[in-house]
Amino acid sequence: MGVYGEYRRLVTAPGLEREGAERRAAFRGGQRAIVPSLFGAGAWGMVSGVAMVKGGLAVPWAILMSLLVYAGSAQLAALPLIFAGAPLWVIVATGLVTNLRFVIYSAAIRPYFADQPLRKRAALGFFMTDFTFTLFMRYAQQGKLPERNRDAWFAGVCANNWTVWQVSALTGIVAASYVPTDWGLEFTGTLALVALVGPSLVTRPALLGAIVAALVALATYHMPYKLGLFCGAIAGIVAATLTDSWQRRSPPAQPESA
Amino acid sequence: MNDPVSGIALGVVIVGLALSTFVTRTSFLIAGARLRLSHRVEVALRFAPVCTLAAIIVPDVLMHGMNATFDPSLLNPRLIGAAATGLWLCWSRNIFGCLATGMAAYSLARLYL
Repeated sequence: MGVYGEYRRLVTAPGLEREGAERRAAFRGGQRAIVPSLFGAGAWGMVSGVAMVKGGLAVPWAILMSLLVYAGSAQLAALPLIFAGAPLWVIVATGLVTNLRFVIYSAAIRPYFADQPLRKRAALGFFMTDFTFTLFMRYAQQGKLPERNRDAWFAGVCANNWTVWQVSALTGIVAASYVPTDWGLEFTGTLALVALVGPSLVTRPALLGAIVAALVALATYHMPYKLGLFCGAIAGIVAATLTDSWQRRSPPAQPESA
Repeated sequence: MNDPVSGIALGVVIVGLALSTFVTRTSFLIAGARLRLSHRVEVALRFAPVCTLAAIIVPDVLMHGMNATFDPSLLNPRLIGAAATGLWLCWSRNIFGCLATGMAAYSLARLYL
């Protein structure tokens, strides 16, 4: 008892306790929500782990890269350049361009965390990936996010995704010497993205945007530093937005509204 | 077989890549309310993930082999694998089923076509 008891009474004041319980419940809700895509995250992490070692990185450096960078697509894009001895700025620029989609993500997710302190926003940003962002936005659009403690909910999503991804990447790094590269295991990552995107294609703007993005990305595929990816994404977004605004304007034969 | 790449230069590359991830992921989150987006841009951003992922997936499926040549033929194992995943997705949202079906179709196509 004594000081410790005093302290206990302070931190377990009823209001605080309810607040803490709510936050923990939100965190666990996020952890549950990400479960269906954890297999994809695990496969993708494993694939990136195997690829780093197969691509020629020494094991300790592969582990360091996995922990610090935590971005499968940028890591996979950088590997051939590292192995070919490309200059530092080219490798970093390639990673940067591959990551440019995260700028779009961070702008889209910002309104939901605008009232959070800087430190927390930076942390949530660091842990944001294709999987966790897509899940968050899908829940937001379907109105399935909790009313309060959205940061705790997203932290739960990210915690599970990060843990599974890192453990899988470590497993892939260690096991790489036993897995023949010609199994084509890296294709699992692409299939996981297919499964992730599929359910979003039900609206006309999204479908059209995806088609335009794919066509432009194909046409600009041979641009340096994976810039084609960015061109495709931008073209697709423009197409989807235009389709969306036309759809809004035309429906029940409204006379001139703007 | 070359020696595995390691050393300080690689460390610098890794830190550079880590910074590129951190800066892009936190850009607007850190800038906070100082940056404003119009409603139109906000709407556009809703479609960002599906478009970006389509731009990653489709070239990855259709660009084939070491030289990344365009291969839209029905014998392209990656196209077969992705199509199998897509079909399974219409049936069920279970990602394990999707990946298992896709990888099975992809592997069979690579072995026998």
